[in-house]
Amino acid sequence: MTPAHLHLLLNHVPTIGFGLGLGLFVASLLAKSEDLKQASLVVFFIIALVAIPAYLTGNAANFVLQDEPAVSQDVVAAHQDAAMLALVPMEVTGLLAWFALWRFRRWHVVALLVLSVLTIGLMARAATLGGEVRHPEILADGTAASAPGWPRAAAAGAAFVLDNPWVWPISEIFHFVGLCLLFGIVLLINLRMLGVVTGVALVDINRLLPWAMLGLVINVVTGMLFFLASPDQYTQNTTFAWKIGAMLLGGLTLLYPTMVNEHSGMKLAANATITRAVGATSICLWVAVIFLGRFLPYFGSE
Amino acid sequence: MGSVLVLLEQTGLATWIRESGLLYSYPLILFLHTLGLSTLVGLNTAIDLRLLGVGACIPLPSLEKTFRVMWAGLALNVATGILLFIADATRHASNPAFYVKLACVALAVVALARIRDQVFRKHQSGKLLAAASLTCWFVALSAGRLMAYINEFIS
Repeated sequence: MTPAHLHLLLNHVPTIGFGLGLGLFVASLLAKSEDLKQASLVVFFIIALVAIPAYLTGNAANFVLQDEPAVSQDVVAAHQDAAMLALVPMEVTGLLAWFALWRFRRWHVVALLVLSVLTIGLMARAATLGGEVRHPEILADGTAASAPGWPRAAAAGAAFVLDNPWVWPISEIFHFVGLCLLFGIVLLINLRMLGVVTGVALVDINRLLPWAMLGLVINVVTGMLFFLASPDQYTQNTTFAWKIGAMLLGGLTLLYPTMVNEHSGMKLAANATITRAVGATSICLWVAVIFLGRFLPYFGSE
Repeated sequence: MGSVLVLLEQTGLATWIRESGLLYSYPLILFLHTLGLSTLVGLNTAIDLRLLGVGACIPLPSLEKTFRVMWAGLALNVATGILLFIADATRHASNPAFYVKLACVALAVVALARIRDQVFRKHQSGKLLAAASLTCWFVALSAGRLMAYINEFIS
């Protein structure tokens, strides 16, 4: 399987997954079910994570297609811009869903409804344009590809990095700042979960979690800037694929300290072994992310 | 001084790190340096945030065990830092960003030691120390990253 296959596999997940998340969320509001609401928030968060490789593998698919005469690069570019335009609100929705899981506030409901509906609309447009890349039979006259007025999000991001020589080094600095925030706080909380750090309740130490999440956001943004400016360097490197995979799993492990604590419905004491196992796994995954990121320039490309 | 740097650079170890091209040579040392820095700076950032009022419900004594982990990170980075330095001694020694980085790391480590003595042991307020610590680490990280660009500019 190549990353191009992976794109065909992953590209349906954000559209369908966000539809599912929104359906569950609305149902939880109607049924006033706390469990259902938690489930829908988890769906939003996970789909927002999976949307990242769904986007990244698109460039890998285009690497295969770029010399195909039957494929219009204009349509590909329009699809990529539309995908980036949908990815941004999708990540914001995922982040907000995580905050709602961490400490629920009433305004989260309205914000999540508005953002998820907007995201699904933009995602549907990206999916439509993506279909047109390989299916000329559905390509109508005056397709959306040539429709004026839509922001060229991916192209603008790439131009921002390529036209300004200071953006890459500054982004590298902030990629390390984000790394320290994320790794340090996650390490501390995982050491608490492992029982190395004692004398503090999980519900108290997880007050630091939003700062780890800030680190993750900084690194997704700066990482995306690197990727936009130099996509082939990453899509043609297997170490990068493993790094993104480890990052997704690491992101999933953040749900555990977010949702399981002394006050939540899930019984922490009975789950001491699971808590330790998740803590150890999480540390290993984030160390793997750093390892794979560091080895990326030296290993994995042809 | 210059000749000492050249001698350092010409040792077998320095040449091996610089030129062997093996994955367990330069790239592994670089990875360990990154792991050490994210452990030390990351945990220290968590403590600084706590001293600045984030998660005020976290009891300070519960964080005392992290000092051992941070000192381990520091030891790892002194060791890997020396290895990375000797591999390119003359180039690093002529790079102003390198001295900025070293000075800020030294200040940040002093701040961390003072945080333990004055805030953890003597229960004094640590807000100023925490702010200084965050600033020093940020400048150290920035200077460290920019070393590569300034090296390129010099040579």
